Amino acid sequence: MRLRLSLVWVAVVIGVGLIVLLGFFVDQPVILDIRRILISWAVLLSAAALVLGLYNLLSVHWHKVSLQERGWPYSALLVLCFLVTLTLGLLFGPDYPVILMLFRYIQVPVEASLMALLAISLTVAGFRLVARHRDLLSLIFAIVAFVVLLGTGPWLVGGGGGAYELVRDLRNWVAQVWAAGGARGMLLGVALGATLTGLRVLLGSDRPYGD
Amino acid sequence: MIGLNVDLVGIAAVVGLVVLLLVFVFLGRRWPAVFRPIKGFEALGVAIERAVEAGERVHLSLGTGSVTGAEVAPALAGLAVLSRVAAATTMSDRPVVVTAGDGAMAILAQDTLRSAYERVGAGERYQATSGRMLGPTPFSYAAGLPTILATEDVSVHMLMGSFGVEGALAADFGERQGAFVLAGTDDIQTQALLYATAEHPLIGEEVFAGGAYLNVGPLHRASLRTQDVVRMLIIGLILVGTVVRTVMDLL
Repeated sequence: MRLRLSLVWVAVVIGVGLIVLLGFFVDQPVILDIRRILISWAVLLSAAALVLGLYNLLSVHWHKVSLQERGWPYSALLVLCFLVTLTLGLLFGPDYPVILMLFRYIQVPVEASLMALLAISLTVAGFRLVARHRDLLSLIFAIVAFVVLLGTGPWLVGGGGGAYELVRDLRNWVAQVWAAGGARGMLLGVALGATLTGLRVLLGSDRPYGD
Repeated sequence: MIGLNVDLVGIAAVVGLVVLLLVFVFLGRRWPAVFRPIKGFEALGVAIERAVEAGERVHLSLGTGSVTGAEVAPALAGLAVLSRVAAATTMSDRPVVVTAGDGAMAILAQDTLRSAYERVGAGERYQATSGRMLGPTPFSYAAGLPTILATEDVSVHMLMGSFGVEGALAADFGERQGAFVLAGTDDIQTQALLYATAEHPLIGEEVFAGGAYLNVGPLHRASLRTQDVVRMLIIGLILVGTVVRTVMDLL
């Protein structure tokens, strides 16, 4: 019985996938309409899944708090903030001044701080890369990164001078010829990999929705 | 486009890929494929064994992409790897934990985990909280990672999904934890960041090769062979096109 049920899911996925895929190649109103309906269903289901995901987030942290597992104070803080924000949002709507204030003065600065942390992390990672992998590729990576930085930020070599123009031209040559060429080659591989991953799902070989 | 507004070239390309895929599945039974070694996948098995023996946890991140977006493909590849990794860690006291930035992706992770546990006869060990949504925005997702890595004793940290610049932070958090970090994504710029931050970066299409290297199934191995053949074909066409254009310009 269970096997038959899983075959039903596979058939549904293949059928829906084929109709959506066909919509890219066949310009027929019937197929395009069905495709549009299926995609709008997917968007609705995705929104419902977001609610389930938030419930999952809450239950994981609630479980940690109730068992007082390691790091439970962080979970308690998350549960508290989650419930306060959710309650305010549900009662007063997303445009309520307190909600906007929470967004403007907490979420945006935290995310901006993480972006700033990224610059530090990448600098440290660059040094770690050269120290850990003492090979030609790492050396080239470090030199190219340094040249691109010099060519992008003229303050290091003085703006407007001959040295700056040389570094800027070198940076443009590296970025527009070598990097762009290499990136296009890699994109070709990525596109093929993504296409075949999708085809495996369409053929029912990969079943991320379970057996 | 012709007559009935049908893109025959597109349909032929898809059918051609499916036929090639099936041909390589058949050929793979007689002549198994031999792939070039990828250090990250080679070292992954040992790292997982070590984690299971030490009672430490394996963490797989499916990225911050959505199921309905165009960036779903690397996460699907990550789910294929998850089915294999979950089966290998079922006997551990601390089974694999999967995180995603999208609710639907977290549900897919839970389904994949449950199937993998049931397949090896350990369905009762499956916990729904092993598949989690961390945060709906890229940086809220990244902000949730250090706590998971530290409090869950993660020693294998795998990133296989869609990431933007937050992917570099996600990999760096794993490195700071001293974990084995294997990271791959479909975004070329993020791959450059992962090259610097992760111990074992997956470059180019390597993120899609996990299933083939971890023996998830014959179609995964056939996929790699199909990719190689089609890539060579496209490269050949580009070279021929370049030569023809150059000659035409000269004449």
